[in-house]
Amino acid sequence: MAPEPALRLRGITKRYGAVVACDGVDLTLERGEIHGLLGENGAGKSTLMRILLGLETQDSGAIDRDGRAVTITGPRQAAALGISMVHQHFSLVDPLAVWENVALGQSGPVRRAAVRAGVRAAAERYGLAIDPDARVGSLSAGERQRVELLKCLRRDPAVLIMDEPTSVLTRAESAELFAVLRRVVAAEHRAVVLISHKLAEITTATDRVTVIRAGRVVLRRATAATTEAELAREMVGREVTLGAAVGVLPHAPAPAAPASSQAALRLRGLTTRPGLDDLCLTVHAGEIVGLYGAEGNGQKSLGDVLSGLTVPDAGTVEVAGAPVDLRRPGALSAAGLGIVPEDRHHAGVVLDLSVAENLVMTRLGDVSGRVFVDRRRLRRRARALADEYGITAPSLDSPLRTLSGGNQQRVVLARELSGRPRVLVAAQPSRGLDVGAVEDLYARLRRCASDGIAVLVISTELEEILALTTRVATIFRGRIVGELPTAQADAERLGLLTGGAA
Amino acid sequence: MSTVAADLETILSSGIRLAAPLAFAACGEYVAERAGTLNVSVEAMMLGAAFGSIAVAGLTGSATAGLLAGVLLGALVGSVHGALSHRWHVNTFVVGLVLNALVLGLTSYLVTVGDLGRHQVAQVSVPGLRDLPVLGAPLFVERWPVYLLLALVPLTWWLVERSRWGLELRAAGENPEAADMTGIRVNLRRRQALLWCGALAGLGGAYLAVGEVGSFNQNMTAGRGYLVIAAVIFGGWRLGRTLVGCAVFGLADALRLALPALGHTVNSQLLISAPYLLALLAMLLFTTRQRRPGALAQPFRRAS
Ligand SMILES: Nc1ncnc2c1ncn2[C@@H]1O[C@H](COP(=O)(O)OP(=O)(O)OP(=O)(O)O)[C@@H](O)[C@H]1O
Ligand SMILES: [Mg+2]
Repeated sequence: MAPEPALRLRGITKRYGAVVACDGVDLTLERGEIHGLLGENGAGKSTLMRILLGLETQDSGAIDRDGRAVTITGPRQAAALGISMVHQHFSLVDPLAVWENVALGQSGPVRRAAVRAGVRAAAERYGLAIDPDARVGSLSAGERQRVELLKCLRRDPAVLIMDEPTSVLTRAESAELFAVLRRVVAAEHRAVVLISHKLAEITTATDRVTVIRAGRVVLRRATAATTEAELAREMVGREVTLGAAVGVLPHAPAPAAPASSQAALRLRGLTTRPGLDDLCLTVHAGEIVGLYGAEGNGQKSLGDVLSGLTVPDAGTVEVAGAPVDLRRPGALSAAGLGIVPEDRHHAGVVLDLSVAENLVMTRLGDVSGRVFVDRRRLRRRARALADEYGITAPSLDSPLRTLSGGNQQRVVLARELSGRPRVLVAAQPSRGLDVGAVEDLYARLRRCASDGIAVLVISTELEEILALTTRVATIFRGRIVGELPTAQADAERLGLLTGGAA
Repeated sequence: MSTVAADLETILSSGIRLAAPLAFAACGEYVAERAGTLNVSVEAMMLGAAFGSIAVAGLTGSATAGLLAGVLLGALVGSVHGALSHRWHVNTFVVGLVLNALVLGLTSYLVTVGDLGRHQVAQVSVPGLRDLPVLGAPLFVERWPVYLLLALVPLTWWLVERSRWGLELRAAGENPEAADMTGIRVNLRRRQALLWCGALAGLGGAYLAVGEVGSFNQNMTAGRGYLVIAAVIFGGWRLGRTLVGCAVFGLADALRLALPALGHTVNSQLLISAPYLLALLAMLLFTTRQRRPGALAQPFRRAS
């Protein structure tokens, strides 16, 4: 008799009002397999996983764990059943140390020495180097991911769920993660679910793949028996030109408007401790400059300075030739700088405000009378933006937190791109977007540049840099360590320029 | 003994006695705040316990039984607060202010119903040490419950910083969503923290009544609960500094009481507000938000 699958979902359906997030989903997770889960933004992937964790309850359908029917009432019970998840948005507590976060996921008395030793041992075994005493808030995204994974693995789960774990990782980090997952699956016989929008990752890292579209399973196959093109087609439901997601995009076409000599954005000697070290960079109107480097080399600090969240210790920011007083709140945006911040939940959106409010938040002047916000105008503008950017939401009045991860990202993009800034800074803009949305984003950014906007793309993804930019600067330990036209750039040269770290 | 030394001794003695109820309650409030509740009902906990301790002491004839009753009453207020704000999600400030008003009204009425009498726990004095110059009497001649602080302060610290309960409670106060994802029962931990807060604030209030004063009078806590909240903020959500805050407020209060006796005449109404003004000033000058729990005063409900 064949052993029962670790987990079997039968006919899972979940509705939110009129939205059917999951529609009769069947899914079987076998031990010793990595199972890829694919689908457009809003297809219902996260919802399905939240049901497995007991964070949501299905309207109908059943779940079998090792062949026995179970009802999952919450994360603690899911953990008891051996189901653990690494979250799309992290489940770590920033002010606590790494070992404390790991201890949180366990039970019994907290023995500091034992937990720290355990973290070290697991780190060793899985190749996830981490200092158990570091404060989680001070870690880079890649390191946080390691902590999440360690926290999960220390619970010894039979089923490990990973919702877009690679969206915040560099290529090297992703490769490392897949190697760890492979070890976890092969040696320890666990079942892994991997959600990703990067088709190349799905095809290389998984054994079996399920595609869902609008809540329904549309394809179920052994990974070896499918192709990226087929997966993309099934996801979207029509033939698509495969672009960025597959990493075969040609170099960007030369910008339509020749880069003017006028510097639209000039950063001079920006220094923050820690983070930036005398960073200088110029972006001209009409060009797309890429800032490339491994996570944790000061990109976050730069984003914070350009969002007005931190005032640098030294250095100046000039927009269109005029220095900006960085101590004045809102000065950057008044000077015509729009920004898509890296950590959307931290700086980009208010999860409890409505979709409509988030869409117009930074441009309330446009929808206000002398004193009051004109609700009708606000809604009209929000509706137009939502349509233009393909934002799927239960309604414009629902709080933003009810949107899928990718749709939240679209809200930020729609707001900032439509603001017609002079300078547009986009940090990791394609994070969390599905294949189609990435293509759309790239087309929009190119259009921005040809309209004469200076665009700065901060990215850890080589494909993105090569596909999108005209010039690339590399950042390492808070400094610009190299600069060259993208046409002359390739993986090797850029790798050398980033201290071999990327 | 010189008069300056004697004056100093008097002020220190009463300073410690006035700081003790604050310190008990602060150990409680500190825990509640680390778990994410900015608990305004400390005042109700202290006042209710002060009344209850005298009443029960009268009924049983034992001041110690009164003290115990105070602890239980404080915990009762804490559990009511916890149930309302972390089970039924009523706004925690509204709950706190209503409880404060309710307890003030109730005790003010009950105190007029009959004579509660005088009840006081025993005084202990440590032989030898009590004869030390200046510090001897203030530190070593006390009503015995004061010395409970010696155990309760380290216990509070250990619970919060070293136990699993404390770790979960801190996670609930810093980032309830992440804690919930991890499988921690956020609202349960917050209710438990309030229970601990109630018990200790109750002990503080009861100590004030059956320990220090020996009787109950209307509104006898007179806003000390708010001083406790100020002390935690002043302490930057660290236990040690919070207790320093309590000591400062206690000494300020003692100074206020001593000034007339020392021959200074200051408007007494103005003087009464001195500790509160000091609290405000201290918070302005010394507050750091560094350790402020990330989700302080934010209710938690799983979004769905
Ligand atoms: N709490 C909620 N209330 C209302 N609608 C919701 C809620 N949570 C999710 N939805 C809706 O359910 C649908 C599926 O969302 P889900 O987060 O599962 O998508 P996803 O496949 O994970 O997408 P992404 O790739 O963007 O992360 C979306 O249309 C979303 O708006
Ligand atoms: Mg998702």
